[in-house]
Amino acid sequence: MNSRFVVKPELCIGCRTCELACSFAHAKNGRPGRSRIFVLGGGFKDLFVPVTCLQCEEAACAKSCLVNAITRNPETGAMDLDHDKCVRCMACIAACPFGCSLFDEQQELVIKCDLCGGDPACAKFCPTKALEYKPVTVRALRPAI
Amino acid sequence: MVSLTINGKVVRAEEGEYLLAVIRRMGIDVPALCDHAAVEPYGGCRLCMVEITKESWDGWKNYVTACLYPAEQDLIVNTHSEKVIELRTSLLDLFLARNPETPLIQKLAADHGLTKTSFEVVPEPNDCILCGICTRVCDEMGFAAISMVNRGHGREVAPPLNEAPPDCVGCLACAQACPTNYIKFEDIGTTRKIWGREFELLTCEKTGRPTITREFAAFLSKHRDIPEEYFKVNDEAHRDELASTMGRITRWSVQEETK
Ligand code: SF4
Ligand code: SF4
Ligand code: SF4
Ligand code: SF4
Ligand code: FES
Repeated sequence: MNSRFVVKPELCIGCRTCELACSFAHAKNGRPGRSRIFVLGGGFKDLFVPVTCLQCEEAACAKSCLVNAITRNPETGAMDLDHDKCVRCMACIAACPFGCSLFDEQQELVIKCDLCGGDPACAKFCPTKALEYKPVTVRALRPAI
Repeated sequence: MVSLTINGKVVRAEEGEYLLAVIRRMGIDVPALCDHAAVEPYGGCRLCMVEITKESWDGWKNYVTACLYPAEQDLIVNTHSEKVIELRTSLLDLFLARNPETPLIQKLAADHGLTKTSFEVVPEPNDCILCGICTRVCDEMGFAAISMVNRGHGREVAPPLNEAPPDCVGCLACAQACPTNYIKFEDIGTTRKIWGREFELLTCEKTGRPTITREFAAFLSKHRDIPEEYFKVNDEAHRDELASTMGRITRWSVQEETK
């Protein structure tokens, strides 16, 4: 799993196709799920920022889960949430510092990004390549403080 | 790996893997009311009963709960033999006497041709099927706030001495995992009530929305090393913070490039 999301907010036009793709990719019994990706403004008037789970190295969601329902998928690298195990205590939702574990009221499930099993629908459908999922060599870019 | 036969099909399974998991993987529907992925099997409801035998057993057969029986080499399993169906039906007859109004039980019983119990209905029937999922989940999470008490007709789930349980943190896992929604709770504003206790929910400083109870948050920070401040911001506000950080980085890097 050397692929990562590459997000370029400056290219995002706010069309929310990624959100729609996510909903449909996670449909259950013909019902779309709640999107696990969010197009937000981030306090900027002229910017759209697609936000989703960072699949953290030391993930707070997994640490907070007392029944170990959240574990790393060795193939995709995603922190996967096992719906059969989840007892909906909402700990992970409260613990994730990025708000990327959430509750789907329609499906009555706690959900988070699962990288669609290794081929994220959101990135595939983004028309402007503001959101890509591709192999990258990670080179840190640190803003001057 | 071992290989065994289930309903005439040869299948492979991990050594020691429970039969119920193998049966489910094959898409075979076996009722299993006390089974929950978050906890160890319990063998309480006995509905997952299957018939087992082996070539070498000279026609001898045994009946075991699939949720507790490990897959073995050369085992021959029948999940729906005449005798198994008969056993399951009589168990459901008993369930119907205890839970006559419970949709989950009514549905399963109807699938086995039962609409009424042949036994006498218990004096005060309720929706608790005594699966023990709630108590085991609470134990698994490390609280052990509730347990199964009494025997026979009076058997029920209850906090110690039937008083507000001191070890409960109000996480609601018991109520959420209960297959019949028997465990009642109430969330009004930032107050949560369950098992006769009242909890205060932490509130997001930005959105004013409740997150989890103070007690649950304290437990998680103490035992799972999560900063308590995390619990005072809800998911929506946390996402906004992330978007704002990413936005600022974007503005900064675009600026640098055009310099
Ligand atoms: S849900 Fe949150 S804590 Fe868990 S991996 Fe994703 S970003 Fe990290
Ligand atoms: S809501 Fe589910 S996945 Fe999240 S911490 Fe609770 S049991 Fe684990
Ligand atoms: S709400 Fe209380 S009794 Fe129920 S699982 Fe949580 S700690 Fe246990
Ligand atoms: S209260 Fe619910 S989970 Fe607990 S034993 Fe009864 S039916 Fe099972
Ligand atoms: S699921 Fe096996 S005994 Fe209840």
